[in-house]
Amino acid sequence: MKIEILGTGCAKCNKTKKIVEKALLEIGVDAEIVKVEDFDRIISYGVMITPAVVIDGEVKIAGRVPGVDDVKKWIT
Amino acid sequence: MTEEMKCLCEDVTDEIKCSCESDNVGIFPCADASNVGQISNMVAVKLAKKGVGTMMCTVGIGGHSPGIIKSAEGCDCIIAIDGCPLKCTKATLEHAGIPISKHIVLTELGIKKDHNLDILPSQVEKALAKVADCL
Repeated sequence: MKIEILGTGCAKCNKTKKIVEKALLEIGVDAEIVKVEDFDRIISYGVMITPAVVIDGEVKIAGRVPGVDDVKKWIT
Repeated sequence: MTEEMKCLCEDVTDEIKCSCESDNVGIFPCADASNVGQISNMVAVKLAKKGVGTMMCTVGIGGHSPGIIKSAEGCDCIIAIDGCPLKCTKATLEHAGIPISKHIVLTELGIKKDHNLDILPSQVEKALAKVADCL
């Protein structure tokens, strides 16, 4: 599983990464986490506001920091 | 960071401010094949450049583009700018289940619809002033 955190390095993007890591740890799932800061790559997903989370190529959320439970639902 | 990509952490300050006072404002113009459609598009560009919000792709909503739909869902405030009474932007957003906070129809602001696509900067500025009054 590949989880991409889309954002330009702001506080909310960093918080999103921590939440994703926490969710993975709590349910014991291993996944590749990639932080994507390249603007061209971000808009290639159609994402226009960040932070955003993309799991295996599917945009799960944009413009908001997800909750740990949200992330757990997406990856289980 | 570019003008097109607004981070939620950025402060937005400029002369026009939407009364919804949300951090995350999505601006959807109709951009259709008429003067008012093209004016709606240019007004959206101007509003985005003034920091009112992020201009988004209405046709991307109609095209079910997941990233664009998720971006719209992530907005706290949605401004829909239709050119004419057909209100296609409003219908497109509603069809996707995206709630509209402010809906503006340019013809209702006294701008007559025609099919001249060569819009003038002065027309855009007049429309922008009227739209700003609605925000």
